[in-house]
Amino acid sequence: MDSMTLFIASLAVSCIGALASVLLIKADNAAKTAGCLIGAVAAVLSFVAGIQAVLGDVTSVDTIVFFPFAHFQLLLNQLSGLFVALISVLAFAGSIYGLNYFDEYPGKKGRAGFFFNTFVASMMLVITADNVFWFLVAFELMSLTSYFLVVIEENENSIHGGWLYFVIAHVGFVLIMASFLTMTNFAGGSFAFADFRATQFSPVVASVCFVLAFFGFGAKAGIIPLHGWLPKAHPEAPSNVSALMSGGMIKIGIFGILKVGLDLLSASGVQVWWGLMVMVFGAISSVLGVAFALQEHDIKRLLAYHSVENIGIILLGVGASMAAMALNSVGIAVLALMAALYHTFNHAMFKGELFLGAGALLYSTGTRNMEKMGGLFRRMPATAICFLVGALAISAIPPFNGFVSEWFTYQSLFNAAMQGDKAVMIVAVFAAVALAITGALAVTCFVKAYGVSFASAPRSEAAANAKEVPAPMVFAQGLLAAICVVLGIGAPVIAPMLVDVAASVLHPYGGVFAAEGMELMNQYSGAATSTPAIAIALVVLVGLACGYRKLKTVGKVQKSQPWACGYAPNEHMPVVATTFASEVSWFMQPLYTLRDRCTAVCWSIAHFFQKLIGVAEAVEPVPDKVLVDAPHKGVEKLADLATKLEGGNYSIYICYIVAALVVFLMLAVQMG
Amino acid sequence: MNNIVLAVLQGVVVMAVAPFFSGLGRVIRAKMHNRRGPSIMQDYRDLTKLFARPESQSEDASFALRIMPPLFFAVAFMLAMGLPLFTAQSPIPVFGDAITIMYSLALARFFFALCGVDSSNAYAGIGGVRELLMSVLIEPSMLLALFAAALVCGSTDIATMGQHIMTGAIDAPVAVILAGIAFAIACYMELGKLPFDQAEAEQELQEGPLAELSGPSLAMAKLAMSMKQVLVVAWFCAIFVPWGEPATVGAAAVLGAVIFLVKCLIDFVVCGVIENSCSRSRFKVLGNQTWAVVGIAVLAFVFVVVGV
Repeated sequence: MDSMTLFIASLAVSCIGALASVLLIKADNAAKTAGCLIGAVAAVLSFVAGIQAVLGDVTSVDTIVFFPFAHFQLLLNQLSGLFVALISVLAFAGSIYGLNYFDEYPGKKGRAGFFFNTFVASMMLVITADNVFWFLVAFELMSLTSYFLVVIEENENSIHGGWLYFVIAHVGFVLIMASFLTMTNFAGGSFAFADFRATQFSPVVASVCFVLAFFGFGAKAGIIPLHGWLPKAHPEAPSNVSALMSGGMIKIGIFGILKVGLDLLSASGVQVWWGLMVMVFGAISSVLGVAFALQEHDIKRLLAYHSVENIGIILLGVGASMAAMALNSVGIAVLALMAALYHTFNHAMFKGELFLGAGALLYSTGTRNMEKMGGLFRRMPATAICFLVGALAISAIPPFNGFVSEWFTYQSLFNAAMQGDKAVMIVAVFAAVALAITGALAVTCFVKAYGVSFASAPRSEAAANAKEVPAPMVFAQGLLAAICVVLGIGAPVIAPMLVDVAASVLHPYGGVFAAEGMELMNQYSGAATSTPAIAIALVVLVGLACGYRKLKTVGKVQKSQPWACGYAPNEHMPVVATTFASEVSWFMQPLYTLRDRCTAVCWSIAHFFQKLIGVAEAVEPVPDKVLVDAPHKGVEKLADLATKLEGGNYSIYICYIVAALVVFLMLAVQMG
Repeated sequence: MNNIVLAVLQGVVVMAVAPFFSGLGRVIRAKMHNRRGPSIMQDYRDLTKLFARPESQSEDASFALRIMPPLFFAVAFMLAMGLPLFTAQSPIPVFGDAITIMYSLALARFFFALCGVDSSNAYAGIGGVRELLMSVLIEPSMLLALFAAALVCGSTDIATMGQHIMTGAIDAPVAVILAGIAFAIACYMELGKLPFDQAEAEQELQEGPLAELSGPSLAMAKLAMSMKQVLVVAWFCAIFVPWGEPATVGAAAVLGAVIFLVKCLIDFVVCGVIENSCSRSRFKVLGNQTWAVVGIAVLAFVFVVVGV
C-alpha cells in the first residue's frame, strides 16, 4: 500500500477509536481499552506510512471536502513523514501505557480516550495539511483537544495551567494566521501551500511572514519568553499525554518554523538575519530552560522546563542551517538541518520516555514531588533503568542518541562560523558556548532527577511501599528507552537517512554524507566520532575492570550504614532536590529573577485576555440595548395600555363587542 | 593494527604513570611545607594495599555506586587510547575529537556525582553536586577556548589542531596563544587543585563522592581520578604544546612517549608549585574567579574574529 492510503487509514482508525470511547463512555473500562487499543493500531499504521514517506514514497491527496474554496490537500513528503513517524511512536507508547495509566482517572476514561485519539489525529493532520485553511483548522483542533486533556483533572492547578495554555496557543494561532494570510494575499489569493512555494515574495514580505510565523510557532514550541505555559500545562495532563505534548506537539512548532522558513518561503530565499535570530532565541531558550529546570522539585515540571531547553538546542541547528543556506553553503545547511531533525526525533524519544517514567513514579507513589521519593531503584528497577537511559540520553552522554545530535549541532555551528561572515561567526560560537553550558547543567539536573528519585533511601511511606508499575507501562517505557539506545549506537545508519530528509527540504543536494562505516563524520572539517566504537570500548573496558575487581575482592561485600559523622544516619540526611537548587542558586540567582519576569510575560498576556473578557462583557450588552431592548420596551408599553383596556371582566368584553358592532353598523349605514 | 597496539600501549602507560604524578604532587607539597613527606611511590603502595582489602558498602546504595569505579576507569582508558599522546596522530581518531572528549568526561562525571548521591551519605552527595557545578563553571570557557583555537585550525579534531599549531601554519597566532592560556587555566581547574578544589582531605569537595567506597572499588576510583588528571594535562599538551612528538605511528612512538612523560613532569611540577602557593578559596566565590577565564577566552575569540 502506498503511504497516503495507510495514512488516511490511520486517521480513520483514530476517529473510530475516538467514537468507540464516546459510545462506551458509560462503561468506563471498556471505553479506555477500546480507545487505547484502537489508538495503538492507528499509530502502527501511521508509523509505517511515515517511514515509507521518509524512505522516499512521497504521496499527496487533493479533493474537495465541504468547502470548495479550500481543497482538502494533504502532502506526505520526507519531512512530514519524519514528524508523522515521530508522533506515531509516541502515540503507540502512550496508548499502551494508557491501558493502565488512565485508571488514575476513574469516570473520565472515555473522555480521555476520545481526546487522546482526536489529539493524535489532529497533530497528524497539521503535519500533512498542504492548504492554509485545513492547516489552521487542524492546528486549532490540536490546541482544543490538548486543552481538554490538560484540564481533565478539573482541579485548580489544571484549570489555571489550561487557561494559560489556551491563551498562549491562540496568540500563536493569530500570528500564524496573519503570516499565512499575508502569504495568501501576495500569492494571488490561493490557499494552497504549493502556490506559496512557487511565489517569489519580496524580501520585506518574506521577512514579515517569517517573523510572524517564528513567534507564532515559537509560542507553540515554547521558546523563551513565550514558554510560561509549558511548565504549568504539561505537568497537569495525564503523563502519557504530557509525553505526547512535550515530545510531539511542541515539535509541531519546530515543524512550522522549518516549513515556513525553508519550505514555503524557499523561492524567496532565506536571509542571514533569520538564522541569527533563530540561533539567538535558541541559545537563550536552551540555557535558561535548563537553569530553570534545576530549581524544580516537581518532576514533571522539571521535565517540562527541559523541553524548553531542547527546543532551544533544536533551534540552534535550524538557525545554523538558515544562516548557512543564506550564505550559499548548502552542504553545511544540510548538515545543520540534519542535526536539528536528529535532535527533534531524539528529544521526542527521551522526553517521551522520561515523562512516562515520571508517570510511573506518580502512579506508584502518588506524588510528583521528588522530595517525597528516594530509594525507588530497589522497588521499581525496570522504571529506574529506563529512566536512567532517558536521563543519560537527554544529558548528551555518549554513546546515547542525545550525544549524536548535539555533536552534529556543534559541528554545524563550527562550520557555519567558518563561512566568513563575521556576524554568523560570533553568534554561532556563542551559541556553541550556550550549548556547552546547557550540557553541563543538564548533567547536573539529571543526576538530580534520577538520584533524588531513585537513589539512596525512601523519604516517605508512599515511596517505601511503592511497587513496580504494571507490564504495559513498563513495556511502553522500555520501548522508548530501547529506541534511545538504537538511535545512539545505530547513528551511522540513521544519520545518512536524515541527511536525505534534510536535503529534500533544502532542494536536492547529493554531496553530503554524515557517516562512513562505523564513523560519524563532519566532512567539512574532518572531525569524526563513533558511537558504536565508544559503546564497544566502554563495554569491553568496564567488563575487564569489573572482572579484575571481582578477582581482587576478598570475601563478600559487606553492607554497612552510611557514615554520618558519628550520628545515626537517617533518610533525611542525603541530598534532596532542594540541596541542588540551593547550591545552584549561589551562582545563578540573577537567572531566577529573570525567570519570574519571563513567567510574568505569559501571565500578563493571560491577564490581558481576562481584561478583554471584562471589556467584552461591558460592550456586549450595547447592541442588545439598542436592537433588542427598545422594541422590547415598546411592546411592553403597548401591553400596559392593553391591560388598562382589558380588565379581565366578561361584561366589559361584551360591552366592547356591542360597541364595536354599533360602530360597524353606523359605518355600514353611512357608506350605504 | 599498529594503531590498536599503540592505543592500548598509551592506555597502559597512562595507567602505570598516573599514581606517580599524583604522588609527585604530595611530595612537592611536603617539600614546600618543609616536611619530609611520603615517598614518591606512596600512591602505588596505597593502591596495592586497597586492592587487597575487603570491601564494604552503604546499605542504601544501588548499582550506581557499584558501576562507577569500573566505568570511570573505562572512560579514562578510552580517552588515553584516543588522544594523540606519543605521536602527533591519534591512534583511534574517533576518540580524539574535542567534543567527544568533553562529553565522555561528562559520562564519568555523571556517574561520579550519582555515586555520591546513591551512597546515601550527606557529604558524598554534596561533593557530587559541587563536582557538577564546578564543571558548569569550567566547561563554557573551556569550550570557547577550544572553539577559538579550532576556528583557527579548521577542525575540532585534537590531532589536526595540534599539527596545525606545530607547523605554525595559522592566521591568528595571538588568538591561539590566548586560547591556550584560557584552556590551561580551565584544565588546571579541572585537575581539582587549590585554590579551586582540593582532591585530598575534603569530604564535600572533589573526592567527596568516594566517601562510601572502600577496598578495590576505592582503589579503582582513585586510579581513574589520577589517570584523568594526566589526561587533562595531555589534552592541553596535544593541542597547544604539540612540539617534539613524531609525525607518524611507528617505532618512533617510544621516543614520543619519553617526550610526553617529560612534558607531563614539567606540567605537574608547575601545577604542584602553584597549588601550594595559594590558599583555598570558598566554594561560593568560585563563580567570581571563573569570570577571569571567561574573559581571556572571549578575548581569544575576539582576536580570532579580527584575525590577529
